[in-house]
Amino acid sequence: MSKRQSNATKQANLQRASERAAIRAEQEAKERRTRAFLVTGTVAAVLVVVVALVVGFQASRDTTGRAATSPAGAVDGYALPIGQDDAPVVVTVYEDMMCPFCGLFESISSERMKEYAESGDVQVRYHVVSFLDRASETRYSTRAANAIAVVLDTAGPEVAVAFHDALFANQPPEGGPGLPDEQMIEMAVEAGADRAAIEGPIADLAFEQWVVNSTGEWSDRGFTGTPTVTVNDEKVEFTSAEDLLAGTEAAIDEALAD
Amino acid sequence: MGWIGLAARLVVGGVWLVAGALKLPDPAASVRAVRAYQLLPEPIVPTVGYALPVLEVLVGICLLVGVLVRVNGALSAILFVAFIIGIASAWARGLQIDCGCFGGGGYDANAQEKYPLELARDFGLLFASVWLVRRPRSPFALDNRLLYAPTDPARRGDQS
Repeated sequence: MSKRQSNATKQANLQRASERAAIRAEQEAKERRTRAFLVTGTVAAVLVVVVALVVGFQASRDTTGRAATSPAGAVDGYALPIGQDDAPVVVTVYEDMMCPFCGLFESISSERMKEYAESGDVQVRYHVVSFLDRASETRYSTRAANAIAVVLDTAGPEVAVAFHDALFANQPPEGGPGLPDEQMIEMAVEAGADRAAIEGPIADLAFEQWVVNSTGEWSDRGFTGTPTVTVNDEKVEFTSAEDLLAGTEAAIDEALAD
Repeated sequence: MGWIGLAARLVVGGVWLVAGALKLPDPAASVRAVRAYQLLPEPIVPTVGYALPVLEVLVGICLLVGVLVRVNGALSAILFVAFIIGIASAWARGLQIDCGCFGGGGYDANAQEKYPLELARDFGLLFASVWLVRRPRSPFALDNRLLYAPTDPARRGDQS
């Protein structure tokens, strides 16, 4: 009997089988879609949460702009000045104590800047920033900027500028340990600072937050590198240290002629 | 074909992981690097600076282990398009900035000479990312167990 299945029964069986297969395939596809949806949703949610958490964490680690004690004697927020406050021309030199190009520029420009300042025509402002901590093993960039702030605070701009010049004259190479605190204190004392007054704040990085804000201010003003020189807020373009000095002198002459 | 996908995942994912990880330690520097492009309005610069490195790390990890390769490939492609626009516009405007691609950022005296190479690199990685969007399946990917695995093997056993 079963051997003699009619064609109709055979076809009906076949059809039922293919219907079952179709239903199974559809079910499977549906399950797969649901799972893909779940997996994608879960992973995406986890990623979004992680990004949000890390952004919050990074924001809390970036202290730029938080309240800071300014050293006495700073001008324009973050600069150590030489020359008179009422000078007609203001030259601002943004530099990082670890930046070799700044050291090069200082070696050819610092005498010239002093002459300008003494003439009464120009106030030179050294705005020290710190973004090259990774270029030394001991965060020399921040330590040196802090030490300058300490000397400015306790001994005034003249001594601070002399100390700043000495640091550049003895600028440590990139990738090394930088100058140790003890050596910076020695140099500051030689420049005219009081050892007892500077030792503590240099070791404690008393003006670290101010240095961070100084770097933030430099970036906010639209500058991205050091040295950057502005003459009456006009940036001097350059390709070499000599070029930068020549451009600065030309801009000063032009400003004085006005 | 799957092997090309695997290679693309490893290269693109590896680059993202390294690039992001190098930027994570210094959020302030990352913010300054974003600001240096002078493209985004200042109020969102810090958030972008904080978010980019972690986004890069996560996209990198996902591509390396092969999770949601299509989605992460698309994310990766979008990021590369954004960076290509950033670098090209910095070049066109004559800005002298380090791209900040692997940390750093800010002024770079030799920036103008480096822009073409950086762009070529990003275009190559963009191409690899787009490949992953079009052909997301590759060997040794977690997706093979999560997304593409046959559904419920037990039930299939019942029915056979």
